[in-house]
Amino acid sequence: MRTLVSTFTEGDDDKVLLAMRHLPYDGLVLLVVEDFEGPSLNRIRKLEGLSGHTVDIRTVEADGFMPMVDSISEELSALSFDKLKGSRNEILLNISGGSKIMGDAALLAAFRLGIEAYHCDEVVIKLPVLKGATAKDRFTELQVRLMGILADEEMPLGEVIKSMQPNNKASAERTIRELKKQGLLKSRAKDGKVLLTLSIEGREVARATRFSRRT
Amino acid sequence: MAIVFGTLGYRPKSLIPTLRSTKNVEKLVFYCGADRSEKEAVEKVAEARKEVLDYCAQMGIAADAIDLPDPFDFKGVSLRIRADIRRYKKQGKTIAVFNIAGGTRPTSSAALLACILEGIPTMYIHDITYEEIPLPFLRIEYSQVLSGEEKAILKVLRANRGKDITEVELAAMIKKHKATVNHHIKNLVAKGAVRLDRHPQDSRKRVVRIEESTDLLFGDDE
Repeated sequence: MRTLVSTFTEGDDDKVLLAMRHLPYDGLVLLVVEDFEGPSLNRIRKLEGLSGHTVDIRTVEADGFMPMVDSISEELSALSFDKLKGSRNEILLNISGGSKIMGDAALLAAFRLGIEAYHCDEVVIKLPVLKGATAKDRFTELQVRLMGILADEEMPLGEVIKSMQPNNKASAERTIRELKKQGLLKSRAKDGKVLLTLSIEGREVARATRFSRRT
Repeated sequence: MAIVFGTLGYRPKSLIPTLRSTKNVEKLVFYCGADRSEKEAVEKVAEARKEVLDYCAQMGIAADAIDLPDPFDFKGVSLRIRADIRRYKKQGKTIAVFNIAGGTRPTSSAALLACILEGIPTMYIHDITYEEIPLPFLRIEYSQVLSGEEKAILKVLRANRGKDITEVELAAMIKKHKATVNHHIKNLVAKGAVRLDRHPQDSRKRVVRIEESTDLLFGDDE
């Protein structure tokens, strides 16, 4: 199933219609920051209704840029997987609707997850999101696992190694060294213990890989 | 010494905080523009532009205000910004940050795209608090995701856009074995950079078509 997802606010009907005309899709999802009714939404609903379909409206987090990126990533990630059929859905994302911050957040989410994305405003422009260039593709399973364990926390080295079981201590330490070398992990000594934490980039990788699981 | 890039709309306050928070700013390069049919918008942007230039003059920061001919032309703006970033990079300059908070919606998104593709640290400014929000995306130079051979194939396809080129013809053009080219084409299809379409005259053959998005991926100067 192909799902066309578009960022949306009142007045964006022409942008969505352009995407609907040019991009093949089975289902339409509009991402909004708050529930609303208006002529633009009614127009799209009416057109979708003529083909026997409904419009799926999903509200995303509006409080801050990164929370919005995470919220859009979450929606895209959920839409990428059909729970009933147990199969993957193809997602086409139009970032031209909604507020400026929402469009930018959607653009970032598309690159984060490797989602096919477009800017549809008078002309349709496909964005150069390369598949195979996401965080998920750049790191090994062990590296991803370790970053997932740390996430936003600071943990003692011993505890991290323990959490990495059944992988042995040597492989956990090697993974820690690899991530430190890439600037994704930091360490400091406190009360005779080594504490590990992810850098800002490391946290982004942890978030991105978490959202990428289903894409 | 560092260069700050930014987009500007009506509010200098969405750009100036980045000059204050960045160490050793040598120069500000910012992009602005308004719908020329809207007099009020044109005036507001001109006023904001002047305020930013005045601030830079007082602070001894060199400034380059770039007036975009069409701030709603997403592709045009992105290519322009990308070319400028590359020019400064080639000169060995450090681009400290790109503030994408101001300007039209397509200008801001186009700037973000250029930053993602060039691996430039990017900043947003909160609408109300004017707090800076760094965007923690991975610094991947996306064109580096492609191998040298893949880039060479894309270069030939870009130069021959509109022509119906099969894999065999492509192999002859780049002087590589067709099996080698087939391998690279498979990778490029998987990455979403090219697609295989039926040949318009011979349905048994497939032609290799480059995706339009590769223009944005490479920029104008590659």
